Amino acid sequence: MFRLLEETGFKRVRSAVVSGFRFRNESTRDAAESYGVKAVLFTARKPEAN
Amino acid sequence: MSDSTSHVADTQESLEAALKGEVLRMYQEVADNPESEFHFFHGREAAEMFGYSPEWLDRAPPGAVASFAGVGNPHERSDVQPGETVLDLGSGAGLDSIIASWQAGPTGAVMGVDLNPSMCLKAQAHAAASGTTMECHEGRMEEIPLPDEAVDVVISNGVINLSFQKRKVIQEIFRILKPGGRISFTDIVSAKQLSQAIVNDPKLWAS
Repeated sequence: MFRLLEETGFKRVRSAVVSGFRFRNESTRDAAESYGVKAVLFTARKPEAN
Repeated sequence: MSDSTSHVADTQESLEAALKGEVLRMYQEVADNPESEFHFFHGREAAEMFGYSPEWLDRAPPGAVASFAGVGNPHERSDVQPGETVLDLGSGAGLDSIIASWQAGPTGAVMGVDLNPSMCLKAQAHAAASGTTMECHEGRMEEIPLPDEAVDVVISNGVINLSFQKRKVIQEIFRILKPGGRISFTDIVSAKQLSQAIVNDPKLWAS
């Protein structure tokens, strides 16, 4: 996603893992952990007009 | 297009249609039966996990809070200012739109886009109940029903990860943002390639 944002033309792309995110069910949590699934907060800015 | 390419395209199209159906079904269930349990946290419990202020959650209509199904808090970095125009992409029952409208104030404007027209109606009703207004448009994030350079800020919460066409979604967001505009959104990412079984199962993908 980070690269996708930059390739599209966004600048100042930043990301931070959402520390509180987890699935409710244990089986889903285990599966998610095995894939390294996490929630991430992305911010970015569209360049100003020239 | 060769037969094999055509077959792949048809398969992709049918998977996307199935995913759309599953997404609509799942989030409608959250809105209609928020007291039910899902494999993800939702409602006030989830919002508090992600740092939504208790004051916001007390002030917002209970229905909007109970049906919250985000995966983080885009308001942490959105920095919406009075007078700004905001798009909430995948606005659902409207909690994030309502918070953004408080921040944008009476001189600003908040719009929502959601796949589900009944959720749009709910979100608008919740906004009205909270003393603010928002317009909600039924539509797909891959084809946002807004003109070019329409908004100052785009927020989204656990929605973009539901698309098979993320590049298209990000291009659309870029298109509808004004020059100098900004985004603050949460997304579910995985460190490893998902198995084909997961990719091919709309229920798991929508999870």
